[in-house]
Amino acid sequence: MNLARRVYALRWVALPPLTGAGVLAMLVGAVVAAPRELVEGDVQRLMYIHVPSAQAMYLAFGVVFVASVMVLWKRDMRWDAAARGAATVGVLFTGFALVTGMLWGKPTWGVYWQWDARLTSTLVLFLVYTAYLLARAVSDPSDEQAARYSAVYAIVGFLDVPLIVMSVRWWRTLHPQPIVARLDPQLPDSMLAVLGISTLAIFLLAAWLILLRTDTERLGQRLLGLRADVDRREEA
Amino acid sequence: MNAFLAVLEKDLRLAWRDRAGWLTAAAFAAISILTYSFAFDLATSDVRPLLPGVLWTTFLFAGVFAAGAGFQREGEEGTFDALLLSPVSPTAIFLGKLAATLAALVVIEFALLIAATILFDEPLLTPELVAIVMLGTAGYASLTTLLGTLGSGHRARAVLLPVMALPLLVPMLIAAVRATGETLGLFGGDAPWVLLLGVFAAWSTLTAALLFPLAVER
Amino acid sequence: MLEPPASGIEARGLTRRYAGVDVVREATFRIPAGRKVALLGSNGAGKTTLLSVLSTLVQPTSGHAWIAGHAAEGRGAALRRSLGVLRHSPMLYEALSPLENLVFFARLYGVPDASTRIEELLRALGLWGRRHEPASVLSRGTHQRLAIARALVHRPPVLLLDEPETGLDPEGIALLDDLMLRAQGVTVLAATHRVDRVERWADGVIRLDRGRVAEDTVSTEVGVRA
Repeated sequence: MNLARRVYALRWVALPPLTGAGVLAMLVGAVVAAPRELVEGDVQRLMYIHVPSAQAMYLAFGVVFVASVMVLWKRDMRWDAAARGAATVGVLFTGFALVTGMLWGKPTWGVYWQWDARLTSTLVLFLVYTAYLLARAVSDPSDEQAARYSAVYAIVGFLDVPLIVMSVRWWRTLHPQPIVARLDPQLPDSMLAVLGISTLAIFLLAAWLILLRTDTERLGQRLLGLRADVDRREEA
Repeated sequence: MNAFLAVLEKDLRLAWRDRAGWLTAAAFAAISILTYSFAFDLATSDVRPLLPGVLWTTFLFAGVFAAGAGFQREGEEGTFDALLLSPVSPTAIFLGKLAATLAALVVIEFALLIAATILFDEPLLTPELVAIVMLGTAGYASLTTLLGTLGSGHRARAVLLPVMALPLLVPMLIAAVRATGETLGLFGGDAPWVLLLGVFAAWSTLTAALLFPLAVER
Repeated sequence: MLEPPASGIEARGLTRRYAGVDVVREATFRIPAGRKVALLGSNGAGKTTLLSVLSTLVQPTSGHAWIAGHAAEGRGAALRRSLGVLRHSPMLYEALSPLENLVFFARLYGVPDASTRIEELLRALGLWGRRHEPASVLSRGTHQRLAIARALVHRPPVLLLDEPETGLDPEGIALLDDLMLRAQGVTVLAATHRVDRVERWADGVIRLDRGRVAEDTVSTEVGVRA
């Protein structure tokens, strides 16, 4: 465990340059290196951001779920900070996924929004996690009861995800339509390579942002604690 | 079991004493139907395809509205603490509250079904439809009871309840509308909607009943 | 009117932290069964928090407690049945009458002779005449009397009271003192600001200062529990 701890301590040293390099590689790859797609044209390049963003979104929400379980189990407010941090980042990447999906949709379908099953479930998830952040935000960052309440909501929300995805998909199969991103294994190697690099880059970005947000939330909690301590001493 | 019944009876008695609150929810539901009627011109155009949607959005909004208002009180009076201090298990407390909420919601929904039958000249009180309504209500009542009870005593949270509950209830809403439409002969059977509704009801009740005791330990 | 207990209240190293501040710090004391102890301390000293932790409503950050021989961590039904609690809020259903409130709580606690017990309490606290009126129309003092009745309905061997005299008129306070004095064998820990009345009913004092036990005239020796 000591190795893990040391690696964790190095995160501010290692992550920024790695993430920077990754994102740069992703941009170069997506814009320049990857071949132009025949049917959709340059718009298809948005896939390199859209697909990994959606995956990062699920990853972030998975982190929120685990952190929320830990809040209920360990009663340690640090997990609440992690849950909030991951949720904020998750909402961010959900936003990326939705926006890139819409920007892709306009030239391809002619409209920004076609109630595509995947984008629609993504929108519902966006609302779930925004509701989570709102519910948490109306109380203090140090309020343990509020943390437990939000943790319960996050757990229910995460468990609901498969049901949401399934029901929306069934709903939309009534109206068949092109799916947003075709993840054919038939994609040429060059595209797959860029996609792989992009996924790595986005995941690094997500990890970095989650850690950053979590630390920020942690500092906020400690600040509140220090302030309360000062108030108490002044009273005495 | 005795405790469950005690809580149930107490909540039903409170619901009756405070019927103003529940009547407001029922009135809200009635007003919703009227609002839809004017907005979608339900009097003249062919009403049928819209009916399941109108019914279920009304049920949901009324239910969430009622849950938010109702649980406020328990927190404010500090009686929730008294329940937790008693030897009764939190699960019994939750199930008692859920049963009372279900009873009140079912009454409102029945009234609405009767009203809609008259207003839209549609036979809505069939056994299949009633079964679907009960199943769907079980689904949304357990989640709103969970969130409402845990969040009680904080006004801001009561206001947030619809925002929190409705996204979670999307599967139930879709399934309920489609199942209702199927029963009324409006849409074809394209997916096992009633099954999904049942799964959602079972999942939500189980999850809520398991999470409630974990969440109330302070 | 009140039951003799199995044993009293014991705390060892009880600590409760909120937002990085130790509201209760390493509280250690032992109150033998049947003793009546006043919990003193200025506002913010941690009295309410200590009582909340002992009542198992709030979990301690660290430390242990035993109520009537039951470990607090278990939070079991047996422990909660042994406890009668009075907090700042009366914890009553405003829409229900005193009688309905007590019937409900008696049912929750499984009181065997509920109707007799309830009548006994309502009469003793001067509430019998108003037993059918909804609690919302009762005055603050009457509420408090009803809250006291609720805390006592199941004859708990241990009482945790947070400023029980709040809102009571002199007659109510006299009734309260009377109840305390007559509570043979019941262990009482009552937070109070009425230092002047403490000698009337208390046989010991625990004083908190900024979360720590500053004075303790009750604990004989704090032994090690096996």
